[in-house]
Amino acid sequence: MKRILIVDDAATVRMYHRNILETAGYAVEEAVNGIEALEKSLQQSFDLFVVDINMPKLDGYGFLRELRSQDVAQAPAIMVSTEAESNDHIRAYAAGANVYMVKPVKPDQLLINVKLLIGEACL
Amino acid sequence: MNSLLEQFISEARDFLQGIGEKLMELENDPGNAEMMTELFRFVHTLKGNSGLFEFPEMTRVLHAGEDLMDAVRHGKVDFSKELADRLLDAMDYVGMLCDDIDANGGIDAKRAADSARLAESLRQLILSEAVAGASELPEEAAITGKDISEDKPIHFACISEAERMAAYRRACGGDTLHWLDYSPSEECFFQGDDPFFQARGTPDLMGVNITARQPFSALEELDAYRCILDFQILTSAPREELDEYFRYMPDQICIVPVSPLFLALPQGDPNGGPVYEDFVVEALGHLASGRMADLRQAARSLIELSSPELWLSSALRWLLLVIELEPQNRSALVMLIESLRDLKPPQWAKHQAHTSVNELSQTSQTRELASSVQESTISSEEVKALTELVAVQRKILLLPIEAGWQLGRLKAVSTTIAGCLRASGDLASLPGLAASTEMALDEATAKPLLEWLDTKYQGTQAPAAAEVKTVKAEIKIQAPTGLLEAQMSHPTVATRPTSDTEGESKFGRRSEDATTSPKSLKVDQAKIDRLMNLIGEMVVSKNALPYLAGRAENVFGVRELSREIKTQYAVINRIAEEMQDAIMQVRMMPVSFVFQRFPRLVRDTSRKLGKEVNLVLEGEETEADKNIIESLGDPLVHIVRNSLDHGFEQPEVRRALGKPVAGTLTIRASQESDRVVIEISDDGKGIDPVAIKQKAYEKGLIDEASMERLSDQEAVNLVFASGFSTMEVVSDLSGRGVGMDVVKTAVEKVNGTVVLESTKGKGTRIRLSLPLSMAVTNVMIVEFDGQNFGIPMDNVVETVRIPRSAIRTIKKSMATVLRGRIVPLKSINSLLALDAEPKANAEDELAVLVVRTGDESVGLLVDDFRETIDIILKPMAGVLAGLSAYSGSALMGDGSVLMILNVKEIL
Repeated sequence: MKRILIVDDAATVRMYHRNILETAGYAVEEAVNGIEALEKSLQQSFDLFVVDINMPKLDGYGFLRELRSQDVAQAPAIMVSTEAESNDHIRAYAAGANVYMVKPVKPDQLLINVKLLIGEACL
Repeated sequence: MNSLLEQFISEARDFLQGIGEKLMELENDPGNAEMMTELFRFVHTLKGNSGLFEFPEMTRVLHAGEDLMDAVRHGKVDFSKELADRLLDAMDYVGMLCDDIDANGGIDAKRAADSARLAESLRQLILSEAVAGASELPEEAAITGKDISEDKPIHFACISEAERMAAYRRACGGDTLHWLDYSPSEECFFQGDDPFFQARGTPDLMGVNITARQPFSALEELDAYRCILDFQILTSAPREELDEYFRYMPDQICIVPVSPLFLALPQGDPNGGPVYEDFVVEALGHLASGRMADLRQAARSLIELSSPELWLSSALRWLLLVIELEPQNRSALVMLIESLRDLKPPQWAKHQAHTSVNELSQTSQTRELASSVQESTISSEEVKALTELVAVQRKILLLPIEAGWQLGRLKAVSTTIAGCLRASGDLASLPGLAASTEMALDEATAKPLLEWLDTKYQGTQAPAAAEVKTVKAEIKIQAPTGLLEAQMSHPTVATRPTSDTEGESKFGRRSEDATTSPKSLKVDQAKIDRLMNLIGEMVVSKNALPYLAGRAENVFGVRELSREIKTQYAVINRIAEEMQDAIMQVRMMPVSFVFQRFPRLVRDTSRKLGKEVNLVLEGEETEADKNIIESLGDPLVHIVRNSLDHGFEQPEVRRALGKPVAGTLTIRASQESDRVVIEISDDGKGIDPVAIKQKAYEKGLIDEASMERLSDQEAVNLVFASGFSTMEVVSDLSGRGVGMDVVKTAVEKVNGTVVLESTKGKGTRIRLSLPLSMAVTNVMIVEFDGQNFGIPMDNVVETVRIPRSAIRTIKKSMATVLRGRIVPLKSINSLLALDAEPKANAEDELAVLVVRTGDESVGLLVDDFRETIDIILKPMAGVLAGLSAYSGSALMGDGSVLMILNVKEIL
C-alpha cells in the first residue's frame, strides 16, 4: 500500500485529507508541524507528502527544504495553501514542492495529482 | 453531525480561545512580532478550516479578520485597542456560529446580514488606516482596455495577463480565439439556467471575467434570485462548437472573433511615466538589423531590473512572447516596442491583423504533449493535470539553484516525472529519465533533466523561464526562519544536521523506533462517566466479599475459607481503590479551564466602567473534578463582576485616596488537603458594615434590635442574604436582582462553602472552598427506628453519648451543654415524622450526632452509630427526586439500599 504523510497543524484539514486519501486506499500518517513531519519522514518511508504552508515551529517551506537536504530517497510533495494569489507557489516550488494546490482542495483534483505523483496506472 | 464537522467545531473553539488570549497579550506588548505571527496563523488556519464546509457566514468574517491581521502584521495598519475590540467581537460572533452549528448542524440564514456587517467593519479598519497605500488602482485595467478597438470596445484587460498569454499561445498554435459577452437574463434562475456553470463550462475556456450590470443593492434589499451578472469569456474553441454550446441562449450571448495580437495588452503601474527611450532606440535597432537574440537579451535584462508590477515589465513580457512565437511579425514587434515611448497600449486595430499568425508554428508544445500522452488510456482531466504537472516540474528545474537542497529537489522532480510516466503508461521512457537524473545528480544541476524533458516533449515552456526570473528577487526577500538560515549556510548536503537547534537533535534516529504517538487524547465525557459508573458498581460488589466471609465462617463454619476470602478481598479492595483513583484523575481538570475567561471579562468590564484593574491569576494548574470545576464558573464570574462593579473605586477616587490608580484583582487557587480553595481578593473600597446594616434594615431583612447586636462580620455576611443589593442604582453589570445569595447557593450545591472578609477602605476577600471530587461521598451510618441511614461526614462534627439527665428543655425545645456551649438537640425521629422515641443504651445514655449546617451546630438524637463508609451517591431519580430530605441513595455491599439524608433540608 502506498503511504502518504499529511502535514498540517489544523486537525480538521488533516481529517479531511485523510478521509479522501484513505477512501482511495492509501495508508495515511499525520504530522502536526514540520518538526514532527521531519522526524516521521526520517523514521519511515513515504511515497508522497501533502504539506500545509503555515504551521508553528517549522512551516511547510522549512520542512520541504530540510527534507530535500537529506540524502535519502525523495518522494514528491504536494503543497497545500489557502493563498490563491501571491507568489507562494513559486516559493513552494523553490523549497521543493512538486505540486501546488489551493485550499479547499477538491477531492477528485487531489486524487488525480496523487495518482500521477505516485505513478499508479490510471483508469 | 459528522465527525469531521465535530472535529472542526472543537478545533475552532480552541483557536478562538487562542486568538482571544493572543489579542490580549498583544495589547500589553503590541510590538511582539512573534505573537503577531502566531495570531495571524490562528486566524488564517481557522479560515482555511471553515472553507472546507459550506459556512460562508463564518468564512467571510474570518477572511476579513485574516486580511486585517495580515495588514497589521506587515505594518500597514497599527494595532490598537479598537482593532482588538473589533476582532474580539468578530471572534465572539464566530464562536456563536460554532454554537449554532453545534446545536442545529448549520448556520441560521439570517446570520448572513451580521456577518456581512462584521466583515465590513473589519475591512473598514484596513481601508481607513491604509489610506496612504491607495496608489494601487485595480480599476486601471478597465481604463486601459478602452481604446483597443474603436468600433467595439472589448475590455480584454479584464482577463488576466497569464490567461491572455496562454490564449495567444493557443492562437499561434492554430486555434481561433473568440470573445464572448454573455449576459444572462435576470430571470434565468427561474428558467433553470446556471449562468456560472454555463460560463465555466465553455469549451476551451481561456479566461473569464464576471461583472455586475449594476451596483449591488444593500444586503437586506438584495434580491438573490435576480441575476445581474455579465460574463466576459475568452475561449479558443471553434465557432461551431460555441454556437452549439450556447444554442439555448442565443439572445444572451454575443460571440466575436478575436485576432490574437489584441490580447497583447500591457498593463500595470506606469511608475511615473515613460523613461525608456534608450531601450526603445536600442531595441528598434536590434529589430531593424534582425538581431533577434540581442533583442531578447535586452528585453530580459530590463525585465530583471524591473518590478513585475510595472507596465514596462508587462509590455516586455508580451514582447518576449511575440518574439518567441511570431518573430517574423516585425510590425507587431515595432508597435510593442514603440508603446514603451508613451506607455499607451499598441493600437492593434490599426495594425493589419491579417498576419500570418495562423500559418505559423504548428508545433505548439502543448498539443505535442497532449498527443504524446493521449496514446495511453487516461482521461482528459488527467491529461490536463499531467500537462500541468510536467510544466510545473520544468519550472522547478529552472528555479535558481539552492545549494542546500538542490539534490533533493532534483530527486523529487525525477520521482514526480517517473510517477507521471508510469501513470500514463509510458514505461519505455523510464530508463532515459533515470539516466538523465543520474547525470543531473552528478553535476548537481538541472540541465540534463531539462534537456531530457525538452526532447521528450519537444518544445519549450518558455514563459516559465521568464516568470521564474521575475519572481526570483521576491523569494530572496522573504526571510526564512533562523533555523533555515543556519541550514542554508551549510553548503554541503547535511546528512547529520547541527544538533544545537531544538527539534533537530532527534534526526539522527531513524530506526524503527515506536512511532511518536500523541500525548493526549480527547475522550467523550460519556465514556468517562460510564467508567465512573462501572467502578462504582465494582466498589459496591467488592463490598459483598466481607459478608460472604462472614457467612462462610458463621453459617457454614469454614473458618479457613473465610480467611482466604478476606485476604482476597484486601487485594481486590486495593486494586478497586487504585482504579477509582485513576478514573477520578482522568476527570480532573485544571482550574485554568474556568480562569481563562477572566482576562477578557476583567478587561471588557473594567473598560466599560472606566476603571483600571490588573488581574492576577495564581495556581491555575490546581486540579479538581470536572463537575466541580464547571460548577465554579458562574459563581466566580458573579463574584468578579461584583468586585469590578462595586468593589473598585474610580481611578480619580483611588488617586485621591493615595492608592495605586490601577486596582488589583487576585484570583488564587490552591489545594488544601482534600479541598480546592479559590480566593478572590481585591484592593477596592471594601464593605462598610454600617451601610450594610442600614440597608438590611431598610429592606426589612433585620429588625432594629439586631442592627445594634450584629457584629461587623455578621453584618458583612448579610450580603449573602437573598434579595440584598447595596447598589443604589442597579447597573447592567452585576445588579440583576440576584446577589451573592446565588453564589452561596451554587457553591453549597456542590458541598462547598463561601467565606467573605472585608476591611473598609482596604478591600474584600472571598474564599470558596470546594471538595476535590463529588464522586465518592464518605458517610456515617446511623440507626434509628430500626433502620439505617447515611449522613455525609462533611456535616458530622462529633458523636457523643449524653445521659438522659443532661438534656434540658428550654421553651419546649431540647438542648444540652457540650464543653461549655449550648447545643440544641433534635430527635431525628420527629424530624422525619417517625412515630418512635429515641432509644437509650443500657446506661441510659442517648446517642447524639452533632452536625453542622452553616455556622450552627445541632445535635441529632439517634438510636445508635454504625461505621463510616465510602459510597457512590446516586441522586434520586423520577418522582423521588422531589424528596428533598434525601440527597440520594447508595447500594450497600449486602445488596441493601442506604438512604442518605440531606441534613440541611431536614433541620
